[in-house]
Amino acid sequence: MGTPEVAASSPLLRQPRLTEEDTARSRDRSRVHHARRHRKRWHLLWLLVGPGILAMLGENDGPSMIAYAADGAQYGLGFFVPFIPLLFAMAYVCQEMCMRVGAVTHRGYGELVLQRYGRVWGWFVAGDLTLTNLVTLVAEFVAIRVGLAYFHLGAGVAVALGLALVVFTLSGGRYWRWERIVLGLAAFNGLFLLAAILVKPDVGAIAGSLDFTPFPGGGFNTLLLLLASTIGATVTPWMIFFQQSASADKGMTPSDVAHGRYDTALGAVLAAIFGIGALIAGAALLSHGGSGIQGFAGAGFPQALERVAGGAAGTVFALGLIEAGAVAILTISASTAYAAGECIGASHSFNSSPRGAAVFYAANIGVALLAALVILIPGAPLLSIALNANVLATVLLPVSLVLLVILANDKDLMGPWVNKRSTNIVGIGVIAFVGVCGAAYGIDSFLQAVHLIGS
Amino acid sequence: MSARTPLSRATPTRDVTSALDPQAQERAEDELIMHLERDQFVAETSRPVPRAPLGAWASGSLWALRVFVVVVSLMVIYTFVDQLH
Repeated sequence: MGTPEVAASSPLLRQPRLTEEDTARSRDRSRVHHARRHRKRWHLLWLLVGPGILAMLGENDGPSMIAYAADGAQYGLGFFVPFIPLLFAMAYVCQEMCMRVGAVTHRGYGELVLQRYGRVWGWFVAGDLTLTNLVTLVAEFVAIRVGLAYFHLGAGVAVALGLALVVFTLSGGRYWRWERIVLGLAAFNGLFLLAAILVKPDVGAIAGSLDFTPFPGGGFNTLLLLLASTIGATVTPWMIFFQQSASADKGMTPSDVAHGRYDTALGAVLAAIFGIGALIAGAALLSHGGSGIQGFAGAGFPQALERVAGGAAGTVFALGLIEAGAVAILTISASTAYAAGECIGASHSFNSSPRGAAVFYAANIGVALLAALVILIPGAPLLSIALNANVLATVLLPVSLVLLVILANDKDLMGPWVNKRSTNIVGIGVIAFVGVCGAAYGIDSFLQAVHLIGS
Repeated sequence: MSARTPLSRATPTRDVTSALDPQAQERAEDELIMHLERDQFVAETSRPVPRAPLGAWASGSLWALRVFVVVVSLMVIYTFVDQLH
């Protein structure tokens, strides 16, 4: 972190000299104070939204949207239309805790775990994050590549686009600038809703699927894979790191917790709507051999949608995949950078210059670069990597969630903002559900792989 | 300003002495400082929070969960590699 200095100007009141990070954050906070003082409610909301929407829409990433579309293509709308909002309700419970802990303590998740509960746990969660982030980032580049392939552009363009975006968004040296650029990009996640409209779905069938039926058919392992990958498409370790650190970096305080909840809830609602959009678009392929589509072979889904619903639907879906991958690259790289800075004890803020936060900037660009290089390897198993990214995230998630609940119940840290009993009950329920689904899939698949049980 | 968190201390209030300070830069700094809570300063967040060792039950449960998660992760990775062949 920046060097703490003490101002010598006032012997009566020794206060810390402002670092560049403090100065930038203070300017952002002055606008928040002004809006609050003058009761400009909408302006205040505009200033305070960001981390929640970005965490939720960032998780509507390339592999997630392909997973939703694949669910629709293979099983239709039944079960998934109500299941996706249910999962985002679970994600809201987790992300609200992250936002609250970040706003109250002004510290990131990795930093708090490491300092509060020791280096072993800090490095464990950082290790989980790095592994899942790297795998997921590869999948994001794959999604961009799939989207670009529809326009006859290759892997090199996908790599260049992703890396250029990371460098461009980092170039301002301000959290506010980074957040607003990524929010602007994330708005295009709505393309999946447009794709759903373009396939002219049966509204009656959508309404009729709200009772969780028909339940997806297929084998037990297929069902577990669906559950694990769909959970991994809504709640992941990087979201925990990202939203808590971003809330602190944005300068949120306990006064902003209510707006942080609006931000997180809005993100969850938008992400659920757009996710269902991808599901509906995919479901258009159900009666056209959708179950046989290999989403990563050539242009995959966009090409198939073009044949079934017209060129506009295919184009919009392809653009949506590019957007979903691009936004996720930015947010997931940021979460890795926050974690690296927090665990090493180096400056970790978008409000610091690259010179002042070299580790943060290097990790941000480095992890994206590493993932980009993987998709350039000829013959790399990109399809398998993308499909397993969500499952791995689901399997590794419970430890991060347990530590998050412990932090949110830490009275010394949180004071009156500790979890309510109802939040704890729901939070523990979410952990149990995620843990059981992830573990059941992992164990069942392993037993099949070693031929101890039949498929 | 919000209610104080357990980690926070009083936000420095603007002092008459700083208003009399001839250096404009320091005045501007004082004004900026007013918009941050004391525990938001980099100088404050650089200080680690006190260690809170986990209890035996919590620590044991976390280790059990940790081992379980690692084992299941290895199973997922094995399956992933197996599927490649």
